[in-house]
Amino acid sequence: MSNYLLSRIGQAAIVLLLAFAASFLLLQALPGDAILIKYQNPEMGLTPEQIAEIRVLYGADAPIWVQFGNTVWNFVQGSFGYSVQAGVPVRDLIAVNLPATLRLSSLGLVAAIALALLVAFAATLAPLRWLRSLIASAPSLLAALPVFWIGIVLIQIFSFRLRLVPVINPNEFQQLVLPVATLAIPIAAPLAQVFIRSLDEIEAQPFIAVVRAKGASRAWILFRHMLRNAILPVLTIAGVLFGDLLAGAVVTETVFGLNGLGRVTEQAVSNQDTAVLQAIVVLAALGFVFVNLLVDLAAPLIDPRLNRKIGAAA
Amino acid sequence: MTFSSFITRRTALKLAGATALSATLAFGAMAQDAPVTGGTLVYLEQQAHTNLYPPSGGFYPNSGILNQITDKLTWQNPKTLAVEPWIAESWEVSDDAKVYTFKIRPGVTFSDGTPVDAASVAKNFDTYGLGNKELGYPVSEVINNYDHSEVVDDLTVRFYFKASAPGFLQGTAVIGSGLVSPATLELPFNDLGDATKIVGSGAFTVASETLGQSLTLKAREDYDWAPASFAHQGRAYLDEIQYIVTPEDSVRIGALLAGQADIIRQVQAYDEAQVESVGYNVISAPTRGVNNNVSFRPDNPLVADVRVRKALTHATNTDEIVSTLFSSHYPKATSVIASTALGYVDLSKELTFDPDQAKTLLDAAGWVVGVDGIREKDGAKLELNVYESLPQPQNRATLQLLSQQWANVGVKLNVLAGDSGSAATDNLDPAKTPLRPAMVGRADPDVIKSNFYPKNRDALLQKGGLSDKVQSFVDADLNALLEKIASEPNAEKRLGLAGDAQRYLLDQAYVIPIFEEPQVFAGAPYVHDVSFDAVARPSFYNTWLSPR
Amino acid sequence: MTTLDLSKPTTALKSRVQLVKWPRLEPTLVLSWLVIALAIAFALAPQLFTPHSGTIGLAGNQLKPPSAEHWLGTDEIGRDVFARIIYGAINSLSGALIAVTVGFTGGTALGLIAGSSRRVVDDTIMRLVDTLLSVPGLLLQLSIIIILGFGTTNVAIAVGATSVASFARLSRAEVIRVRRADYVEAAFGSGGRFLNVLWRHVLPNSLGTVLAYAALQFGVAILAIATLGFLGYGAPPPIPEWGLLIAEGRKYMTTSWWLTVFPGLAVILVVLAANRISLALRARS
Repeated sequence: MSNYLLSRIGQAAIVLLLAFAASFLLLQALPGDAILIKYQNPEMGLTPEQIAEIRVLYGADAPIWVQFGNTVWNFVQGSFGYSVQAGVPVRDLIAVNLPATLRLSSLGLVAAIALALLVAFAATLAPLRWLRSLIASAPSLLAALPVFWIGIVLIQIFSFRLRLVPVINPNEFQQLVLPVATLAIPIAAPLAQVFIRSLDEIEAQPFIAVVRAKGASRAWILFRHMLRNAILPVLTIAGVLFGDLLAGAVVTETVFGLNGLGRVTEQAVSNQDTAVLQAIVVLAALGFVFVNLLVDLAAPLIDPRLNRKIGAAA
Repeated sequence: MTFSSFITRRTALKLAGATALSATLAFGAMAQDAPVTGGTLVYLEQQAHTNLYPPSGGFYPNSGILNQITDKLTWQNPKTLAVEPWIAESWEVSDDAKVYTFKIRPGVTFSDGTPVDAASVAKNFDTYGLGNKELGYPVSEVINNYDHSEVVDDLTVRFYFKASAPGFLQGTAVIGSGLVSPATLELPFNDLGDATKIVGSGAFTVASETLGQSLTLKAREDYDWAPASFAHQGRAYLDEIQYIVTPEDSVRIGALLAGQADIIRQVQAYDEAQVESVGYNVISAPTRGVNNNVSFRPDNPLVADVRVRKALTHATNTDEIVSTLFSSHYPKATSVIASTALGYVDLSKELTFDPDQAKTLLDAAGWVVGVDGIREKDGAKLELNVYESLPQPQNRATLQLLSQQWANVGVKLNVLAGDSGSAATDNLDPAKTPLRPAMVGRADPDVIKSNFYPKNRDALLQKGGLSDKVQSFVDADLNALLEKIASEPNAEKRLGLAGDAQRYLLDQAYVIPIFEEPQVFAGAPYVHDVSFDAVARPSFYNTWLSPR
Repeated sequence: MTTLDLSKPTTALKSRVQLVKWPRLEPTLVLSWLVIALAIAFALAPQLFTPHSGTIGLAGNQLKPPSAEHWLGTDEIGRDVFARIIYGAINSLSGALIAVTVGFTGGTALGLIAGSSRRVVDDTIMRLVDTLLSVPGLLLQLSIIIILGFGTTNVAIAVGATSVASFARLSRAEVIRVRRADYVEAAFGSGGRFLNVLWRHVLPNSLGTVLAYAALQFGVAILAIATLGFLGYGAPPPIPEWGLLIAEGRKYMTTSWWLTVFPGLAVILVVLAANRISLALRARS
């Protein structure tokens, strides 16, 4: 087991390093550069010589491998460099925006799981057959809607028509309810599909009939077994969901005008603010690697059958 | 002037001449009531502000904030466009317009307690006129030929210029010349992206800011130095102004109509009707500068021939663009600059829509229609690229209509969408972008120079200007003319030169003016007396809220 | 967005097949194929379905609500929305198709090699795939678009590039499953050359699940392209593309709802159809 742990951590480190190098190369390939974009704006009135001076100041005139070395060294020391566009250290920018995005996406994930469970149970337990199949097809419909569209429609309906939740000067709860819903709906859709499948499977198993014959309520049996059986597939796609959450945050934050890492990402791409993007890639890769490591380590605890597979792999 | 009469602006203009426009718009049923003190104005802004160094104040979101927190030496009356006293009680200008002396009003202070005196004003203009390399401050585009300042006594400051600078007096009235505390000007340039660091002497001060999201201004209780000609003196009526960045158009307008906000900036023409249908007000003000246009880059061989540029001017149907996409607040352009601008001459005869003449001109220039309907010459196709300009109203749709119209005479216009980075880079290369949408607002003939002079915005991209990609294009005659506007001390002659410049620009067909760009706001009926400076930047000093 | 349960794609499905007794003729599946067929017909011969132009508007005709003349109304420069949708089919469908092709070929090739090679190669490829998964997809898409330039094809390539990793994981798992099957072992055992066995036995048998995933990705790609359009990274005007139509039309949501609602319906129908077909493909494999 400890061997396995070590090798998983080693793999994680390799992935992290590769992500760093690949993103560095990718960002270097962007055609413009942040300094040009910010300072060659005619309103700034800077001469080409002055812009060259600024370039030296940011260390953007060195050969690419020197810049790579510098960037690695800075990251090792915990310094992510300077955002050319915002004019502040990248670390500050992230420190300010990360909590908001973490809150939004963790609430979004929780809401998505809750919504998915609700849909799955409704699809299995609803009284009429046509109603059940209608509910069962809801996830496909939800998955067929663009996220930004969901956000704008939710605002139009709940904020402007029904006037239930203001989007301007909302309180803490109001501020989060629509964005969380926007983020949760598209993520809930695939989860609900997994849950529905899982419920079908359980119902097909022979022991269910036995337990029911003994008088246990159907909902309770489903709920208990479902929880155990569905956690694993959810965990497996958690790593993939991580990326979806960030993409969803970009869109949600833009639609609702919220500050957060998503909006920072979008603006940094647009302004080709490479220092910011490099930090975001490393952060996201770190999160991805960490989540996957956790999932791999937690999976055998939930389903002991997996221990054998791991033993074989290690 | 009430709001309803403002709608018929074009008619009013014809009667009253180019500059007879009220700036203060009293609207709503209770406009005659006495103003009420107190309340918070919730203002939805489309974009976050950028660096708030006052000379960068031309950007709409920046000016919406700077105009409330800074005062200027002089005030340009938007009705008459005359320059009136504000922080400067009086001034003298030498005959050659090389020496300016200002007497400063006593008792004015910045919100950090520093007095607004000769020394602090001198420090402001030294920075704006010369820039500051160590701290990274650029030179202000409204100040030409600046040499140095002299503190004559506590309240008298004198400015010296290397050459005549007749535009300087008006230049002291613009947002770009807002006065800030000397302490602010000692911070590195990048720090000025934080609004709380900007200390001015204005009627409001920055109370707090969430960068990129919201900003709160508080009224200054001891404010007592509004321009002398204002009826309202003393502190502002509002207690607070809350700026909230709301990029989605539909969210801004929806929030206003649902009662969640009081005033919003950037209302698209297609949304005006729904605002008015529920009794809310559409408020627009002209920017009085270079009209919304597309400017050619003659360095590109495709548009180097004046006949091609003329042909495209005649192939452009501005009436169709304005009637399809815009409203009565967007008058059709009749010259390079707006009909409300200083020095305007009506050149609508040069800008007629005449596709037949366009075809004749293109034929004469040697461009013949190819098999695919696009004109060709020596194997090259007459196919032009243009990037849409995101801040301009409906620019994507405008360019698409233009593209349709030009297609009728055999010219292909590709409207490019691009990330701001690639657009910024490509827009500096005439080979990639033979034309570009542009506009500048400033109520002085210098605005023509601001837009076209190679050392300023360099709209035509000349050699020796902003871009090192330009092969050879220089128009020495144009540049000489622009320099003369910036340095002709005689006001009347200066307006004459401005007229010459407009004629020259259209004679060479360097630009195709499309419409006179306004800034359009929408406000709730209980919001009264939003005023605008001469270039449509809002001022909330006189604004008050009647009980809802 | 839509994610396939990669861990046990087959067991879950088999049980579903047993559980649900599909009637012989499945109406939803037929309907799905009809939707796709109609969309393809729009793409191939748009002029048969509308007399209006997909790119040129009529001045004075702007923002008209649905009518007999313009079934789905007109947009801000007087273009017929129905014509925009019909002429947009080619761009949306080919965009999604390119995206899926890029992800499918790239991913399947990687997965096939990884799943049938020695440990070192397998590990190397899978770490690369992990790396690709660890970089946020949207960031990768935006960067690729900026590097390649704007345009329907480039946007599609960018969207496809981000799905390479999941295709690779899925096809590797399938290859490993099939390789362990007796008849494949037998093929190796009877002296079959590696590449030959791979081509004749492993590839066709592992393709079913992957194809089902590809159908699912088709819908995902359309949505991803729409999201990029919303962020300002769509095709340049006046190209009609469904995602872009939704994104641009959203500005008119309160006054001219037809601009965003009808293209939205087109996307929903096609995505639903693709998902339904994906389900059927999985059930068969």
